[in-house]
Amino acid sequence: MGDTPVGDALMRIWMYEARLLMRSRLAAFALILMAVLSIAAVIAGLWEVASQRAAIARIAPAQADDIGAVADWIDKAKDPGSAAYYSFHPTWDAPSPLAFAAIGMRDVAPYILRVRALGLEAQIYDGDVYNAELALPGRFDFAFVLVFLGPLFVIALFHDLVSGEREAGRARMLAALPGGSRHIIWRRGMLRLALLSTTLAAPFVAGAIWSGADGVATLTIVAVAIAYLAFWAAITTLVSWFGRSSVANAAMLAAIWLMTALIAPTLAHVAINQTIPVDQGAEIVLAQREQVNRAWDIPREETMRQFYAAHPEWADSPPLPATFHYKWYFAFHQVGDEAVAAKVRAYRAGLERRSQAAAALGWILPSVGVQAILTRLAGTDLIAQLDYQDRVRAYHRRLRNFYYAYMFRDRPFGKADFGKAPRFSQD
Amino acid sequence: MSVVRLIARDEWRLMVRNRVAVIGLCLTVLLTLVAIATSWTHQRGVADLRARHQAAASEAFDAQPDRHPHRVVHYGHFIFRPLGPLAAFDPGVDAFTGNSMFLEGHRQNTANFGDVRQSSLLIRFGQLTPAFVLQVVAPLLLIFLGYGAIARETESGTLRPLMLQGASRAWIVLGKSMALGAVALIVGAPAMAGLALIATQSDTSLFPVLAIAIGYAGYLALWTAAIVLVSAIVHRRRDALLALIAIWAVTVVLLPRVAPDIASVRYPLANRIQTDVAIARDLRAMGDSHDPDDRHFAAFKQRTLARYGVSRIEDLPVNYKGLLALEGEQMTSALFDRYSSQSFATQEQQNALVRAIGFLSPTIALRSLSMAAAGTDLAGHRRFLKQAEAYRYSLVQRLNRLQAEGVTYADDNADDAGADRRKRVTAANWQAIPDFAYRPMAGSDGAIAALSGLAVILGWLIAAALALAWATRRLGTR
Repeated sequence: MGDTPVGDALMRIWMYEARLLMRSRLAAFALILMAVLSIAAVIAGLWEVASQRAAIARIAPAQADDIGAVADWIDKAKDPGSAAYYSFHPTWDAPSPLAFAAIGMRDVAPYILRVRALGLEAQIYDGDVYNAELALPGRFDFAFVLVFLGPLFVIALFHDLVSGEREAGRARMLAALPGGSRHIIWRRGMLRLALLSTTLAAPFVAGAIWSGADGVATLTIVAVAIAYLAFWAAITTLVSWFGRSSVANAAMLAAIWLMTALIAPTLAHVAINQTIPVDQGAEIVLAQREQVNRAWDIPREETMRQFYAAHPEWADSPPLPATFHYKWYFAFHQVGDEAVAAKVRAYRAGLERRSQAAAALGWILPSVGVQAILTRLAGTDLIAQLDYQDRVRAYHRRLRNFYYAYMFRDRPFGKADFGKAPRFSQD
Repeated sequence: MSVVRLIARDEWRLMVRNRVAVIGLCLTVLLTLVAIATSWTHQRGVADLRARHQAAASEAFDAQPDRHPHRVVHYGHFIFRPLGPLAAFDPGVDAFTGNSMFLEGHRQNTANFGDVRQSSLLIRFGQLTPAFVLQVVAPLLLIFLGYGAIARETESGTLRPLMLQGASRAWIVLGKSMALGAVALIVGAPAMAGLALIATQSDTSLFPVLAIAIGYAGYLALWTAAIVLVSAIVHRRRDALLALIAIWAVTVVLLPRVAPDIASVRYPLANRIQTDVAIARDLRAMGDSHDPDDRHFAAFKQRTLARYGVSRIEDLPVNYKGLLALEGEQMTSALFDRYSSQSFATQEQQNALVRAIGFLSPTIALRSLSMAAAGTDLAGHRRFLKQAEAYRYSLVQRLNRLQAEGVTYADDNADDAGADRRKRVTAANWQAIPDFAYRPMAGSDGAIAALSGLAVILGWLIAAALALAWATRRLGTR
């Protein structure tokens, strides 16, 4: 564009505006701070994701050590039931390449869970160790910088865009120029928005490239970030246009920000949890435990009948001996799980409805909407957690069938068989 | 002195004329009332629900039929962490820690079903409680009402005429501070009334309530002083406002989030798989009960036989299997204690680092103070976990003793037709086991735990007052 005279002039105007902007101490300071915060947030996010990956990488050696010791003594009696009872199998939920941008629930929900072929409902809700006081205020990640701090920077840069000229006594003069003051305000606004978006988004894009994120998802987040900042720029300019003094505008805008970013979400949280009651998960576990332990007090054949009805593929197994047999033990664990299946579905549906309600609210509250989009694309929201649970359930099914094939067919389970157990895979 | 009151009244008149300010104040008071109402209903609901769950679990435990004691070790017990009344003011980490725990033999389970995993992403935006309103919203409102208190006079050049009319610098600053301080009182009053209501409606000790009240009063006083200070130093209203919003954003929003990240990088926490595998490894090193030739258990057998003066375990007057269970549980339990102490020591280091950063952000100090006094901080959760583990251990060992004394060794190993019946002990035994009774923190402990946070806030308040005195002296000299 620089080689045509018109382009040249345009370029000069933009460069002039940029120099003018950077001469304002407030603007320069705001842009530098924005860049620093964004870089810090991206690094903090990458660090967290790297440490989660490292924890997942540490599973294999720890697991080998653990299962090796179990295999050593199981090998003596070769009892498949004992093998199934004492073997823990790891599952994990590796962070997506974009998880660094929005840690979401990954700091409070487990991303590593070891399960046995026993009743899953007593295992799947287990958490990992984390410091609740550290989790309480929320993470410092890119999503936080964008959603919470971004608007404040927009307010700092835009609140006097119109009123500032008025206060400096230049407004009338600008309005008299060809094209009017709208033209100039538009140009200045675009310049500020472009600079702010760049300082905010560039570290994120760098982080996304570094962690090999999908291009479309990355660009979507950049677009969402720019749209969110543009939304706040529009509101700020609007207030600045109709408002009175710069200072009154700034106060008014900060109040709007407080309402939409902090107060409205907390009110909505109370409302959602009130209107969408979720049967406490604890009730599932209590009910499952009664079902499981009841098996010791009823005829064993009754349990086996129930189990075979749901799993006819094992019905041709020889009848139970008079002594203890593990296939009965694992059968009543499974029957216990199946007895609460309806409760589990209802619980899950309730959680999904809560998540959907929050996402729907995002259409009204941009702060919530942006957070929802980011955690969805990063795979760190409640839905991602439920997906992980689904993968654990599917893996648990494979695991059970693997052990059933030994228990129900009375095949010995030797050291070599430990290596044949199905392994969890991410997808 | 009447000049001070005059200046304060003049400032109020200006605030009242500012419609946005009045609306903001009313909304904040309304928000506090809504927060008290919802937070209190929530606390009551949660406390009732957990009490109901606890009663159901205890009833189910007592209603068990005759069973082999080891069956009951695995049937286990469910316990629920009760929620103290002050959680209605500041629920602290309650939503972020599991509140129900399954207690069984040879395993230490996690506390599960925290609200944070049962809620939408909105929970991470913060929770609407009186504590949240006072910590986060109230300072911003005070900023809106007070940033111009002195900067306005400086900017419009009315400061000198005011002084020429005989108002001394100290009176001006005092009057403005009084005006803003009165607003702070209005903002804080509903939450404090709520706190008093919560305290009188339950048998809460007075000390933690006082600690909370003094802490929040000091915090709002600190913001009042800081706002007047910035307004006195900065000559333009807009600069004062932006500077104050920046201070607020850094100390209230940014630092509380950055500090935990620093702490978790500085003191990494072992996760569950690491701990579980390490416990299993240590246990194998101590002795393997599955291995008949294991040295630890061979020695245990010899000791036991010698104690009873018999040569075969069949001749023991008690069931050897029960004794083994007692021994095994003691070994695993000691390991659980050791690893959980390690984990909590690390978490305590993390929290200490966050509290150290609290020297920079009074909000962090206030938050720790408030949670500690309300008994809803990590220490409160740990108190529950410790009592839960102590109860688990005594429950399991009681059942193991029942196996040792109530079931004969011969019956325990028998597999004839009537063996199952003979292995069982009567259900009256379950009913005789005392229920889990959580002992809440003593009120004075909560107040003592709050002292360090209180000291930080009061230290800041004194520093702000000194700085204000210094700024007063050079007011209008430029």
